[in-house]
Amino acid sequence: MSGSELPKLARVAHAGHCNRCLSALPSSHIQIDASRLAIGFYCFGTLDLLGSIYEKTKEIEREGWREWLWHQQTSGIHGTGFKPSSYMTQDRPYGTDPEEYSEYDTPHLIMTYTAILSLAILRDDFEQLDRNGIVRFLQACQREDGSFTSFPNGGESDLRQVYCAFAISSMLDDWSGVDVDRAVSFIQQCSSHEGGYGQQPTGEALGGTTYCALASLYLAPSVSDLHAPNPHVTTDERRRTIRWLLQNQASSGGFSGRTNKDADACYCFWCGASLHILGVGDLVDRTAFLSYLASCQFKFGGIGKAPEDRPDPYHTYLSLAALALFPLEDADPSWKLPRLNALWNTTEDTADWIRQHVPLYTVKAQSPVRK
Amino acid sequence: MPDIAGDGPEEQPLFSERPDWTDVTPVPQYEGYNPIAPIFYTPQYKDATDYFRGIVKTNEKSERVLELTEAIIRLNPAHYSAWQYRYHTLLAIKAPLDAELKLMDSLAVQFLKTYQVWHHRRLILTAIYSPPPSNASGLNDPTATTSSSAKSKPSPESQAAARTELAFITRVLMVDAKNYHTWSYRQWLLAFFDDVHLWEGELGFVERLLEEDVRNNSAWHHRFFVVFGRGQLQGEEDRVAVLKRELSYTKDQIALAPNNASAWNYLRGILERTGTSFSNLRSFVEPYTKTHEDRLGDEEILDLENPAPSAEAELPCVAALEFLADIYEKDAVSKSVEIWKRLANELDTMRKKYWEYRIKEALKDVPVQS
Ligand SMILES: [Zn+2]
Repeated sequence: MSGSELPKLARVAHAGHCNRCLSALPSSHIQIDASRLAIGFYCFGTLDLLGSIYEKTKEIEREGWREWLWHQQTSGIHGTGFKPSSYMTQDRPYGTDPEEYSEYDTPHLIMTYTAILSLAILRDDFEQLDRNGIVRFLQACQREDGSFTSFPNGGESDLRQVYCAFAISSMLDDWSGVDVDRAVSFIQQCSSHEGGYGQQPTGEALGGTTYCALASLYLAPSVSDLHAPNPHVTTDERRRTIRWLLQNQASSGGFSGRTNKDADACYCFWCGASLHILGVGDLVDRTAFLSYLASCQFKFGGIGKAPEDRPDPYHTYLSLAALALFPLEDADPSWKLPRLNALWNTTEDTADWIRQHVPLYTVKAQSPVRK
Repeated sequence: MPDIAGDGPEEQPLFSERPDWTDVTPVPQYEGYNPIAPIFYTPQYKDATDYFRGIVKTNEKSERVLELTEAIIRLNPAHYSAWQYRYHTLLAIKAPLDAELKLMDSLAVQFLKTYQVWHHRRLILTAIYSPPPSNASGLNDPTATTSSSAKSKPSPESQAAARTELAFITRVLMVDAKNYHTWSYRQWLLAFFDDVHLWEGELGFVERLLEEDVRNNSAWHHRFFVVFGRGQLQGEEDRVAVLKRELSYTKDQIALAPNNASAWNYLRGILERTGTSFSNLRSFVEPYTKTHEDRLGDEEILDLENPAPSAEAELPCVAALEFLADIYEKDAVSKSVEIWKRLANELDTMRKKYWEYRIKEALKDVPVQS
């Protein structure tokens, strides 16, 4: 199949799916109560990629979302960050200041990363961002072995949290919250015999955490030139990782997350972006890749993990992000998407906004935006 | 999925209707305006979480908190604050932790894919077998230090517990043999108790799973962890013998199902880990790189060390050709190039660009012959 034979990308329907999720979710989704900010990011990210954040939402809505997001920023003894949602927040009169958080309502590392991205997509000015508090929060989350926990007094600690700590530090352009050497050594320990990275040092190679490992190693402050050999990835390691990643492109054209598992739309991003970061995105069979993602489009909007599967904002966003990384020349114009920043996982326009507004000392006065 | 525990909390009256909870002031959730992705809570969930926020506010740690947090967990097993508070309550009121493990047995099967279920189990086992020093606040997560492991000399009691726990995970893996959380937990458990008797059974366990599904990559990965990872099995000090055994096992599995990426990745992995040259495997690999027709001319010698592909095998095998090309790359790169071209144009066209890239990379350092 050539690119011109692909069905169209159902842009309006996919935006509609995410708009519906932003406005309300049925009670069957109670399990995401403690990760609502992540769902929000996937919805905003979808609208950003489709270029419809300004067409499909009103300024008054965007202002309301920004305000709600800032309500999730919380400060206390472990520093400052964002909560997953208001699910543990005690009621108080609207507009009054919250008390310091308790041990059971602390900020959450992954949610802090998604909150900054969402606010940037909504073009917030970041005047309310407690940068020093976030740096203290990162310090509070790092463990002896270099990894990070999701919250200061516990929770998951694997490559996903390391990635969020690295992404946040690079957005702030302030690495004082992270012991980079220890974190890098933790990442390296997660490298598995297959060439991918496991979720933790004993784990089986997995597409998502391989992305987290590589993106972190390329975000690290010791890396100045993305095109030069990375000081944290040996030539052999890189070769093994490329081999394993490409082996995961299944005959359907989609990528699987682990050896001998079925293809899944989200791994088209995790594996595809990993290859892109390693500088070998051209090795992906793009036509097969696109035709797999095209077939995962759900008839009423949104994208699911496999053909005929129910859609969700996570698979919808990641499929579009993957498509943005691997444009196909002869495809229908509906497939055209803006350029993606693979390391932060957001559009280049939003990445520029972050560079101009998130660091304490922004570069907007000195240097023009890199195009 | 059937409700294993039988009594779902939805049959229970709301906490707001119960006389034994009237002394608690429920605290509603602060939602603010314009919430992102608000969820329509069920009355049960809203009721239980209102009471939970009330309990957290007064910092009550009591028996009934266990009931409340269990109700929330059954409605939303990803409610990590409820898990956290439950754990601290168990420690504070010195609740029997073996009963907690029993309860977790049913919750683990019900909520297999939820991380918190497995994390809580780790916390409970750590609290029983490696209690934190008494001066610790207890608020920090004891699994958050890598040094955490059971006391150096395992007691008969902890050995028995570890065996029971391992048997439990085995049962859960029978339900879902590739669940990432379950495997991570098994690996953590082995390292935590670090008892030779526990490690001993692992190879047999992996082999049983691979007999059922030789493409189960999680099982192959676990084998690598057991043989080359943290554990060094008793009687395995002789690493040459271990490598020999692993090679022999892997070759047998490849003979059984040649087009199995898990087995080839394992083979490459053990060679790389032990610094063994790929070319040692040449006579094993070659028969898999030919078609059945081409093999007709070959003299059939029974070689127990190098099992040949069966008559039903799908040949030639892409992974074998890839392996052979890697052997040639060092001193006969033109043969590698020939193989890569075949893979690119005929046998593995999905990765056409990759095989062409391999050719380009390999020839980069080779002086052009005139
Ligand atoms: Zn997926």
